[in-house]
Amino acid sequence: MSVAGVRNLPFLKGQELGLAAVVIVLSIAFSFFNPHFLTTDNFRNILVAVAVVGIMAIGQCFVIIAKEIDLSVGSVMGLSGLCGAYAMSAGLHPALGVLVALAVGAGCGLISGLIVVYGKVNSFIVTLGMLSVARGLTYVLSGGLPILIDPRVMFIGQGEVLGIPVQVLIFFGLVVLGQIVLKRSVLGQRVVAVGDNDEAARLSGIPMNSTRLAVFVFSGLAAAVAGLVYTAQVSVAEAQAGTGLELDVIAAVVIGGASLSGGRGSIIGAMLGAYLLGALRNAFILLELSPFLQQMSVGLVIVLAALFDQFRQGAFQHSVLAIRLRRLFGR
Amino acid sequence: MAGMTSSSSATDALSVADLGKSFGAVQALKDVTLSFRYGEVTALLGENGAGKSTLIRLCSGEHQPTTGKVAIDGQVRELPNPLAATALGIAVVHQEPQLVSAMTIAENIFLARLGGNAAVAAHRPGALAREARALLAEISLSGAFADLSMKCAGLSAAERQLVEIARALAAKPKVLFLDEPNSSLTRRETDRLFGIVRLLREQSVAVVLVSHRLGEVYEISDRVIVMRDGSKVGEGTVGDLPKTQAIRLMAGDRLVEQTARDEAAAREIDPKAVPVLRVRGASGIAFSDVDIDIHAGEIVGMAGLVGSGRTEIVRGVLGADPLYSGSIELNGDPVRFRTLRDAVKHGISFISEERRTSVFYGHDIGFNLTSNVLGRFGRLGFFSQRRRMRFAQERADRVGVKAESVATPIRALSGGNQQKVLLARALASNPSLLILDEPTRGVDVRTKAEMYALIRNLAHVEGLAVWFISSEMDEILHLADRVMVVREGRIVDNIAKGPQAAQVVASALGEKAEDAVAFFGRQERGEAH
Repeated sequence: MSVAGVRNLPFLKGQELGLAAVVIVLSIAFSFFNPHFLTTDNFRNILVAVAVVGIMAIGQCFVIIAKEIDLSVGSVMGLSGLCGAYAMSAGLHPALGVLVALAVGAGCGLISGLIVVYGKVNSFIVTLGMLSVARGLTYVLSGGLPILIDPRVMFIGQGEVLGIPVQVLIFFGLVVLGQIVLKRSVLGQRVVAVGDNDEAARLSGIPMNSTRLAVFVFSGLAAAVAGLVYTAQVSVAEAQAGTGLELDVIAAVVIGGASLSGGRGSIIGAMLGAYLLGALRNAFILLELSPFLQQMSVGLVIVLAALFDQFRQGAFQHSVLAIRLRRLFGR
Repeated sequence: MAGMTSSSSATDALSVADLGKSFGAVQALKDVTLSFRYGEVTALLGENGAGKSTLIRLCSGEHQPTTGKVAIDGQVRELPNPLAATALGIAVVHQEPQLVSAMTIAENIFLARLGGNAAVAAHRPGALAREARALLAEISLSGAFADLSMKCAGLSAAERQLVEIARALAAKPKVLFLDEPNSSLTRRETDRLFGIVRLLREQSVAVVLVSHRLGEVYEISDRVIVMRDGSKVGEGTVGDLPKTQAIRLMAGDRLVEQTARDEAAAREIDPKAVPVLRVRGASGIAFSDVDIDIHAGEIVGMAGLVGSGRTEIVRGVLGADPLYSGSIELNGDPVRFRTLRDAVKHGISFISEERRTSVFYGHDIGFNLTSNVLGRFGRLGFFSQRRRMRFAQERADRVGVKAESVATPIRALSGGNQQKVLLARALASNPSLLILDEPTRGVDVRTKAEMYALIRNLAHVEGLAVWFISSEMDEILHLADRVMVVREGRIVDNIAKGPQAAQVVASALGEKAEDAVAFFGRQERGEAH
């Protein structure tokens, strides 16, 4: 296959390759300080740790490409995990409990979506409201007490298949599914079109409302899956599960090359973004650095990623500095 | 540098020497040397992609030249950004007015003060409106806006253009670039614009006019500069360089093959046949009691001034705006579209008048061309990228999009080529009715001719029903088999192509009737050959 052929594959684009290179270079650099960093065990630890954020990032990626945002994912994750556990503790079959959790997640997304689409309220505000409402509801339902979950679903967060943790398999499976839906399905391309130029999408007859509803439902569903994984991982559903994770999720998507101005983004990128965040956290622990430094470095990575993306888009090629530099080097 | 000093005389407001600009591998401008003089209107002519816009961007600090120099009043200047150019007396009126919709007309006119004044300066809306009124009076536009404290959101395209021009003049420029200022204006509005230009010439401003409407350009200009493929290919006074010669220079050798192409003759339309679109007694926002019949294989042109209700009629019929009363039949079946999507599903394609609201700028030609028909390249909601791109390539070739491949980003195309991609997108769903609002706005002469030939073939050979809106008389008379004239929300004339149609259209668009008749005679002779 020619070079151009490889570039046309849905999974390999310059942006993802670049991010993958950053991850690899950083991993090698960290391994000089702590050889344990580059072991299979540690790789596995990182993946297990990022699965929850990564799964939500897949849904969020669709939302951001459609030029919307979903701030409620952390809360919806908590609520749906708790509802699932609640249903199982009330005697429902675990499979039905899982369905309840998924339905709650999708329902939350649908409600946000309906208000955004038909109420014409900015998604930032709507999902900010949903963030509070869902979290409040979680406390109301649980009374603040943890709910033990059915041991039969614990394999989701604790089991292994062929030596690979189940939640990592779920994460990877959803990444592949998400990338195919985004790049090779009509719905995915509609999301891209709506995010790039909504007026053009409307004029060419793309169903705006259902497309935008769909991204919020996706995001809610992804949050529910993350909620189930997290609950199974820690064996209990807690009311505060997922608090604050929305920022990590959005950061992962942005690091992955999605643009908040819509129309651009990649699921593979979001996955790599989530991994990069997890790897940084992990490295700071292994290198025994202050957790405060860790928080700072995560913030730096987010902003650097966005800056680099602007650079890649050619935002600075006409800037005075760039021109002076080019003159300096005789170009 | 020697060339620069010799070419700059006391009357040169702005001159450039050996100016060049490349974007990656593409050389948009090659060694251009020219000057614009005080008290002269210079027309900058050329097809899309000839380098006119690049030249303007280099002169106004939006882009930086790769080679060469820009001199203002004979002094070589660096223009690192548009603000620096404005400070040196260079103003640009862009093709698409860049207004802040949420601000008032007066605030938009003096928008530059937001950048100039200290941030703590008081904002006095009353004083601003007074100053704006004084400025408009200076350019004899005092009657243009009733209320200068109105928000810009509700302005028409022509009014937005005037605000943009007033804003440019607020800075009292020495050199004023007008980039396609009349492409969305009717004849009457163009006359008002040209009145301003004449006034500016008397005040010895150097005015540079870019336009594709040669007839109008030649009315107002003193000097003509023709560009092609990034180079200057001709320069002279309007007397030395007549219109026909300018057209030849703009198109180069390619015009010959263009005129040689024979075009399909109009079909005989059987008036008793079931029309593709039949509208009876339709009333909606800004129009009432409209009857329309469009048959398969027929090209219907709708002429009318901006604000006459022509766009509103289309929007009402398509379901983009509500329809209060009336009936619509599509191929004999009664229909009522609630949304544009409904209309698209029923086999109607629509291209809106503003390209900016139609193009997915972040993506390639293939994405733009196939955005409506993805379901066709696969099943169950998934599609094959290979089949999609093959389809896109085939359709792009059919309409003659000039690009390396359909994987080329659409941003890299000229306006005319983008318009062709939009046409290909509209045709991708194999519609039975194609509706075009200002199909060739801001498109160069040659691309226009290509698009006319294409549309005519689609209708006359393949039997597509075409309904288009235009405020260009030439376009209506050239393309339409039948002409509808809209005035004040009603269809006041509906006649077949012919000398009578020419007169009717001319009066509707406020043009001179002699011009129309002359145009028609020319066309008839052309067809006789």
